[in-house]
Amino acid sequence: MLTYTNPELKPFEELAGQFARNELASGREEHDNYPFGPFFHGVLARAHEAGFLGIILPEHQGGIGQGTGALCVILDSISRADASLAGILFTTALAQQILMEAGAFDAIRTITGGASKAEEALIAFPAFANPSELAPSVFAKNEEGRYTLFGTCDYLVLGGLARYGLIPARVHGRKGYSFFIVDLAAPGVTKSGPVVSLGFHACPAVDVKIRDVDGTIAGSEGDGAVLFERAAEKMHIAAAAIACGIMKGSFVEALSYAKERFQGGREIVKWSEVRMILANMAVKVDVADMTLAGACRAAEEKHPGWETKSRAVAIRIQDDACELTTDGIQVLGGYGYMKDYGQEKRFRDAKQVQALLGMAPMKKLKYFEKVAE
Amino acid sequence: MVLSHEFKVLLEREPKFIDIMCSLEATARQPKGIINETKEVVAIARKFNDEVVRPYALELDRLRTEDPEFLPWEFVKKANEWGFYTMWIPKIFGGKGYCMPSMSYFIEEIGSACLAMANLIGVHYLGFATLTATWNMRLVNRLAREVAKGEKTGAPCLISLAITEPGAGTDVEEIDLIDKGKITCHAGKVKGGYVVNGSKVFISNGHISAWHMLIAYSDLKRPSDTPVVLAVPTGAKGFSFGRQEHKMGQKGCPASELIFEDCFIPDELVAMDDEQCRGLSRKTREATMQVIDYVVSVTRAGVGAFGTGVARGAFEEALKFAGETEVDGKLLINHEWAQCMLAEMYKNVTIARLCYVETNYANGMYGFFKTLQMKPMYYCAKMLPKFYIDLVIAPLMSKHFMTKLMRKIGLDGQKDEEIHRTSGWASIAKVVGTDAGIRNCQLALEMMGQAGLRQDRVAEKHLRDSKLLQIYEGTNQLNRLNIFKCLIARSCPQAVVFDE
Repeated sequence: MLTYTNPELKPFEELAGQFARNELASGREEHDNYPFGPFFHGVLARAHEAGFLGIILPEHQGGIGQGTGALCVILDSISRADASLAGILFTTALAQQILMEAGAFDAIRTITGGASKAEEALIAFPAFANPSELAPSVFAKNEEGRYTLFGTCDYLVLGGLARYGLIPARVHGRKGYSFFIVDLAAPGVTKSGPVVSLGFHACPAVDVKIRDVDGTIAGSEGDGAVLFERAAEKMHIAAAAIACGIMKGSFVEALSYAKERFQGGREIVKWSEVRMILANMAVKVDVADMTLAGACRAAEEKHPGWETKSRAVAIRIQDDACELTTDGIQVLGGYGYMKDYGQEKRFRDAKQVQALLGMAPMKKLKYFEKVAE
Repeated sequence: MVLSHEFKVLLEREPKFIDIMCSLEATARQPKGIINETKEVVAIARKFNDEVVRPYALELDRLRTEDPEFLPWEFVKKANEWGFYTMWIPKIFGGKGYCMPSMSYFIEEIGSACLAMANLIGVHYLGFATLTATWNMRLVNRLAREVAKGEKTGAPCLISLAITEPGAGTDVEEIDLIDKGKITCHAGKVKGGYVVNGSKVFISNGHISAWHMLIAYSDLKRPSDTPVVLAVPTGAKGFSFGRQEHKMGQKGCPASELIFEDCFIPDELVAMDDEQCRGLSRKTREATMQVIDYVVSVTRAGVGAFGTGVARGAFEEALKFAGETEVDGKLLINHEWAQCMLAEMYKNVTIARLCYVETNYANGMYGFFKTLQMKPMYYCAKMLPKFYIDLVIAPLMSKHFMTKLMRKIGLDGQKDEEIHRTSGWASIAKVVGTDAGIRNCQLALEMMGQAGLRQDRVAEKHLRDSKLLQIYEGTNQLNRLNIFKCLIARSCPQAVVFDE
């Protein structure tokens, strides 16, 4: 639907779809083994070559200069096969968006422009938390314009892979928090092993301890919440696109299985209760597809109130993805619960996506705050 | 007011009083000893959770993720040491003889800490229940005493149930579907026993069980009329283990493929077949469905208790998180929405528990537990000295007439409406409990945000574990149809089930 409302996005859909089929679909189970199996460095390198790590960055910043629509089309297409890579793209794009909101273009150029390999282009970020909800436990000391950071940053996504991280920290004597670019290879940064998580296994996170490490402020002191909210307005839709892709993948696999699996002497798709489950799934997929396309269009054309409405779209799609992927397993019965099929991973990934950008109930309340305004 | 001749008619009206008030009927009739036994069992389970389950649950989950071939012997040996594999085997068979309903409370407790470990204990009783439902007293006596011996020697002797086939899951649990299903596990009658060919999949505890209650069919064209229940020992010639499934959750509990290639099972290990069913008041087909209902009336309530347990586990993790985490400047537990969310979760647990408890009452009055919960039988079983059981009762159990007598009481003695009542309630308990499990896990993760995604915070493991509950012991869809069949369809004579 996204490419129907905006045909210019068609090439991105084809590119990402082809990438998902060639690079992700067949290796899904193996990639999902991380951290108990190898990380898919090769896939990440090819995603970098395809320009997926700089979708929203302007070309002069080392990106491909696209907007929310292209980002969503790519995330949607990739997530049908394996949402872990989408998690990597999302996290990096979120950090880039915050840096752009902060006007930290030099930093972006340093990180992305100078990246000779994929890992160097990544930016680690705690993508599953809104720092306004859970106050950061990293603190920054300002000594004549030089910031020294200490504290802990839990669940820093891509922290084990990326050279640089964008870390929220509280500046002594200031209200709120600010964002700092931190060299994660610096002495004083201690990383845990990969955190074993529900989903997104190949989009790993680590816990980081920081002790007297220099940080470069992005924006100004105390403006972290403003920057995060501005970036989040666009990135909520991107998170919804991942959920939408997962939903499509789950529905396609459930339908295909239902046509082949026999029960009571006929294909299970011919039993009306199974048809009802599939119908409910199809309704959710189509509604998600339509609303996502509408939200992207509204965002790109800056329709009045698009910021608030896109939050509602994201909340709805993410909730539906959790329900739909539960049914996606149910249609396959015992097989849906096994790693041989993609359904159990989609179930886990959908729940993981729901936590992007903060706690689900708090996102609802934040949305209502905007509505009530 | 109601006239005396109206009384019965009014109570017979749907919903029938007897169907909806099992607990009211049962509380006065059940032995009081059950209360203290249940308290004791819950206390034991809580101590076991503190000392064994919680300290090892995440490690076992991780070990099985790293190496799916790893087998949880360390835990099984601990459970064996604590006596859990004989706890609900009647004393007359060498077990500890705790009342059967207390097992549900036990597995709720263990399930609240780790569903996989609850399965490693509970699934053994799925195998034992299947064996017992055949009322083949000689074989029950033999296997139960092997389990008891395994406890003494420290070599756990577990029993599994092998029923699901690669092409038939739901079909094998419903007699109206089985003849249309893709059934392939064949037991051919030969002189002195059966020769089995075929395979079974998703068999919980398969790799770690010493005995497997195998349901095969002597005529694959009409399996509903020809089921054969066999006790297959691990190591039998022609029987081997295939792969262990790589599951999303409940990883600590292996799900195995069982392969049979010209596997000869002697007559002495035939728990039930067409020949043994002769003389029963019901035909083989109906008797088969009765045995299935007999078993699932207990085990589905058990899965409801698993669901209650995991729903409770998720609630407890969310509560702990809410009590120690500041969100938006104040403790999460002091946000009104969080209090309502926690209350919703608590409510889900309570309703789920009430459903399996009611099913236990139904089973005590009209089903599997009935014989052992009759007051004279209950107290007699408690008070008989061990030497008397070993010298007098045990040898009696090996006599053919005991099997005949118990089948008369257990199978022929159960009315059709009682089968429907217990089976219907069990499906309610299963669906309510397992839906509550998933729902609470989802809510817990929503409430915990980023922290809920981490394995070391347990909630995500609960979510992964809980999903399987909606699938095994009959999918929740099959169970809903069973509720319709058992408790609703009779009021609409034109209703047809499983024949759309």
